[in-house]
Amino acid sequence: HILIFYTVSDKQNRIKLINHNYLDLLLSDDEEDTKRVVRSAKDKRFEELTNLIKTIRNAMKIRDMAKCLEEFEQLCRAFLKSKTIMDKEGVPQFYIRLLADLEDYLNQLWEDKEGKKKMNKNNAKALSTLRQKIRKYNKDFETEIASYKEVQSCSPDAFTSSSGSDDDDDEGITAKSLLKKKPQEEEKKAPEASKFLKGAADEESESEDDEESEDWGSDSVDSGSESEDNEGAAASLAVVFLKKYDSRRKKHKKKERLEEEADEEAEAEEGGWEKVKGGAPMVKEKPKMFAKGTEINSAVVVKKLTEILQARGKKGTDRAAQIELLHALAGISNENNLGEGILIKIKFNIIASLYDYNPNLAAFMKPDMWKKCLECIDELMDILFANSNIFIGENIAEDSENLAISDQPFRVRGCILTLVERMDEEFTKIMQNTDPHSQEYVDNLKDEGRVCGIIDRLLQYLETKGSTEEVCRVYLRRIMHTYYKFDYKAHRRSLGLQGETKSEQDQEESEGEDSAVIMDRLCKFIYAKDRTDRIRTCAILCHIYHHALHSRWFQARDLMLMSHLQDNIQHADPPVQILYNRTMVQLGICAFRQGMIKDAHNALLDIQSSGRAKELLGQGLLMRNMQERNAEQEKIEKRRQVPFHMHINLELLECVYLVSAMLLEIPYMAAHEFDARRRMISKQFHHQLRVGERQPLLGPPESMREHVVAASKAMKMGDWRTCHSFIINEKMNSKVWDLFPETQCVREMLVRKIQEESLRTYLFTYSSVYDSISMETLSEMFELDLPTVHSIISKMIINEELMASLDQPTQTVVMHRTEPTSLQNMALQLAEKLGGLVENNERVFDLKQGVYGGYFNRDQRGGYQQKQGYHRGGYEHLSVTSKLLFTLFCGGSSQNALSLSSSKQLPSVDMKSVFLVWLVKLNVCVFLCLWLL
Amino acid sequence: MASRKEAPSGKSLDSPVRQIQIEGLVRPHHQALQGSEVVQGVLLGLVVEDRLEITNCFPFPQHTEDDADFDEVQYQMEMMRSLRHVNIDHLHVGWYQSTFYGSFVSRALLDSQFSYQHAIEESVVLIYDPIKTAQGSLCLKAYRLTPKLMEICREKDFSADGLKKASVGYENMFEEVPIVIKNSHLINVLLWELEDKSTAADKHELLNLSSSTHLEKSLQMLMDRVDEMSQDIVKYNNYCRSLSKQQQQKHQYIQRRQQENAQRQSRGEPPLPEEDLSKMFKPPQPPPRMDTLLIASQLSTYCQTIKEFTSQNLGKLFMAEALQGTSSYS
Repeated sequence: HILIFYTVSDKQNRIKLINHNYLDLLLSDDEEDTKRVVRSAKDKRFEELTNLIKTIRNAMKIRDMAKCLEEFEQLCRAFLKSKTIMDKEGVPQFYIRLLADLEDYLNQLWEDKEGKKKMNKNNAKALSTLRQKIRKYNKDFETEIASYKEVQSCSPDAFTSSSGSDDDDDEGITAKSLLKKKPQEEEKKAPEASKFLKGAADEESESEDDEESEDWGSDSVDSGSESEDNEGAAASLAVVFLKKYDSRRKKHKKKERLEEEADEEAEAEEGGWEKVKGGAPMVKEKPKMFAKGTEINSAVVVKKLTEILQARGKKGTDRAAQIELLHALAGISNENNLGEGILIKIKFNIIASLYDYNPNLAAFMKPDMWKKCLECIDELMDILFANSNIFIGENIAEDSENLAISDQPFRVRGCILTLVERMDEEFTKIMQNTDPHSQEYVDNLKDEGRVCGIIDRLLQYLETKGSTEEVCRVYLRRIMHTYYKFDYKAHRRSLGLQGETKSEQDQEESEGEDSAVIMDRLCKFIYAKDRTDRIRTCAILCHIYHHALHSRWFQARDLMLMSHLQDNIQHADPPVQILYNRTMVQLGICAFRQGMIKDAHNALLDIQSSGRAKELLGQGLLMRNMQERNAEQEKIEKRRQVPFHMHINLELLECVYLVSAMLLEIPYMAAHEFDARRRMISKQFHHQLRVGERQPLLGPPESMREHVVAASKAMKMGDWRTCHSFIINEKMNSKVWDLFPETQCVREMLVRKIQEESLRTYLFTYSSVYDSISMETLSEMFELDLPTVHSIISKMIINEELMASLDQPTQTVVMHRTEPTSLQNMALQLAEKLGGLVENNERVFDLKQGVYGGYFNRDQRGGYQQKQGYHRGGYEHLSVTSKLLFTLFCGGSSQNALSLSSSKQLPSVDMKSVFLVWLVKLNVCVFLCLWLL
Repeated sequence: MASRKEAPSGKSLDSPVRQIQIEGLVRPHHQALQGSEVVQGVLLGLVVEDRLEITNCFPFPQHTEDDADFDEVQYQMEMMRSLRHVNIDHLHVGWYQSTFYGSFVSRALLDSQFSYQHAIEESVVLIYDPIKTAQGSLCLKAYRLTPKLMEICREKDFSADGLKKASVGYENMFEEVPIVIKNSHLINVLLWELEDKSTAADKHELLNLSSSTHLEKSLQMLMDRVDEMSQDIVKYNNYCRSLSKQQQQKHQYIQRRQQENAQRQSRGEPPLPEEDLSKMFKPPQPPPRMDTLLIASQLSTYCQTIKEFTSQNLGKLFMAEALQGTSSYS
């Protein structure tokens, strides 16, 4: 009898094995078991069920009815889910067993009045519901349960032996009670353990015992699931042992005979087993992919492939080994000439597994993996180029693949574009994670050429085969690798310089078209064809960036303005926003190079004023405390960083910003020296100035900022030579200006700007000293030619910045001397301050009395302030009238306020201060009027 | 210097001192008077009926930070003792302070004058403007705290309500005491003689038309004070707003509580326990108003000086114009 045979052999086996110190082996075997199990959908379902059953049994043991109920409900649901499989395979034995046991158990508990009383409320409730439920539920399985019980009752012994090793717990007790109560269990355990449980069981404590019993339980259920196809429990047992055999035979070659027997048995009995067996040795014996003599055809290989792939993503899977396997498989298929279809499919999977090698999203590929990946993709591309009759695509279903060699073209599922995109991301990740100042970084960066090459090839491939969207995507990739690189060749060509040597010329010719042309072509295609907004946005930004980088300011600006990106960029995702920031910065720097100081300042203002330029450009994280950003966010932000070779130099950025701010702000400050409501153009620049002022000891400037501050101070005095020497010197050249491609032009532009703005500042500051200035002297002083000086002064006169007129015959500027004296300025400032004071005071009254604010005629004051606004224009007339008006107004309201206060009896302090304000105003205004008359 | 009577302010003062008589000898003799640095000293004299006669003074030594352990009280005692030895009035009757363009109203002045007046009831503070005096018009003023302000200072209640209750405004914080300068006959004779000898050229300074620097300085300081005032008002405004907001919240809370209690009563449940409302709604710290008051007072002083100055200057200007007019006609 087979059953007996196995039981016996099992025992023999075990006894022998004990001599071999087999505990370790067994354990390691177990590990392998879990590794190599290839699970079908059925297995998965069954595993789920068995796990649930296990917990139910545990809950039964400790009489936790609530838990029992919960698990049972889950079990029912799980069972329903696996309905399709059940229909095919029939209801599994273990499931029936549980149902029967559970019912018995519940009934028993129900009968046990004493116990029930002791139960807590929750448990009792659960018990009653569960009992009702299971009764109802079991009706569906009446026949099965009945037959099961019959078997149990008529031949308990047989059953016990049949359940044998797996259901150890059952052994000692009568078959009908699977109710495991702790004391009983422990009793049972001891003999069993001594019998054949892992030899260590003796030493193990009770609690571990318990665990083990669970282990065994699960094992038994496992076996149950695998034995599904068999009618009897016996076979299931056989399988369990077989499996153990399988694994063990590798270690114990002596038992070859036995193993063969077992193999035979297994094969005789079950068909479904083969799959597992195929997978099992695979890991251990790599070269032996297929059983000897198996005819290797594409079907077999595909099957193998799916097997390997099924292990993918599982916990215990050795990913490196899997990659090896796939490589081996590729080799086999190549040897056997199975055709490119298969090969491509395998390659796809190899690359995918390479990507999967790192389970963590943040981790980056190891160099060897990366090399392998590049090679693989290259090979894949080779194949694809060599065979034009291969169709690949994501949308080709698994079933409709055509891998075998036939007249039809190959059809393979998979998307090369996605793979390449992923590769590109991996490359970025590698660059992000390499120290940018190491040789390693340089080495890694050398791979960029290969990456670009692959993208180029893919581009060629997809241009012929791919859909528009795919082309757009690959174009964007290409753009992303192009936009930030300065095209020196094109630059030199545009300058009309030929390569100095012959070889260089050759190189130039072979270099292909300018990056500008490429960018233009690719971007225009995307603008026309792209349907997703994101790709187009990115393409536009890159295009602008590229234009700006190559100093095509007007094209860049127009593109930026026409795209209206400024309006809706805040809705974009962070990487696009970073790209936008980069573009804006590049645009600003470009404007600076072109001498558009104002545009440069405006473009850079937002980035610089935030003080987080580094973060906004994705070039590093600012130190911040954990409250603002938790670890998770930090990881995300780290992933967004731009690799170092694409960085924009932050010092250059700041310098450009500060210098343009200086060129704008210093003349402005000089022009509005006495204006109380003067606004700052650039806060940051003022901040730097203040920092400079606060220095107790002013040494020669060291840092870039100090240079700019020192230059600003010189400029304030109209001393352009000093300013120039501070801005352009060796230190600044090496720090900033040499970073521009057209250094010389930029420097020339800067000098000119400094001269012009210094001239303006000089005129603003010292015009009150002069009655007239000869323009020739000015042009000598600032080394500007006469027409330029003339135009600057004319502009200032037209803009009413300078109260002067030009005297043509003598070439002099005649000052009108209508600028207010400092005393007058001060009085004006005071008047304005008093206005503010009154307003503040009114607010206090508003609070106290509700609608008091309406009392003062605000329009009138508004009018006054407007008049204040032009006082520069026709100062003498307006100011006097406005002062008079103001005096009248003040006088009037103070009288009103007096009458009001007397009527309402408000001798409060605030009222007093209001009176005082009126008094001050009256005083000042009377004084002013008299003074000015 | 000729003995001259300062115009006594019209109102009668309800303080023990109605008049101050200063000996011509009493001159704050400091070397550094021209600077902006404030110098201080002690006034000595005696009270005769309702007249406070100041007969002598000595300065507080200017001590730098180096000798921080200098004992001022010790010095004063020593000084007074020495003065008594030479038979000079040694009664402490007040103190004096120099001023820079009329800025003297400050917290420090208030505090020290309070302590003086607290200890010696008839003490005064003399404010002396060296710059203005150098320009030709003697600027010497005596001030005392009004009884109302004394009251407040004693109670240290500088909140808005306290000031309101005491009805102290900036104009009745200090009272000015009229000053009479009296010289001994000998000195008078000397002065007469000197006047005869001196030429008129010395007095041209009085007619100097360019006075913008002085005005600018005054305006600058006036502006600074206005800024401070403005800030203070904003502070007060914020306080008022937060106070009213809290009041509203409190009110709402009480209403809700009442409603709830009414509901509970109708259901027959016991009302919710009363909680300490003042704990739940802590009133915001009211900003002290004394500083505002002081600034206001200072402002009014500035205004006064500017007004005086401008009116003087205006007179001079008109005079100059008239002179020029006649010269052009002729």
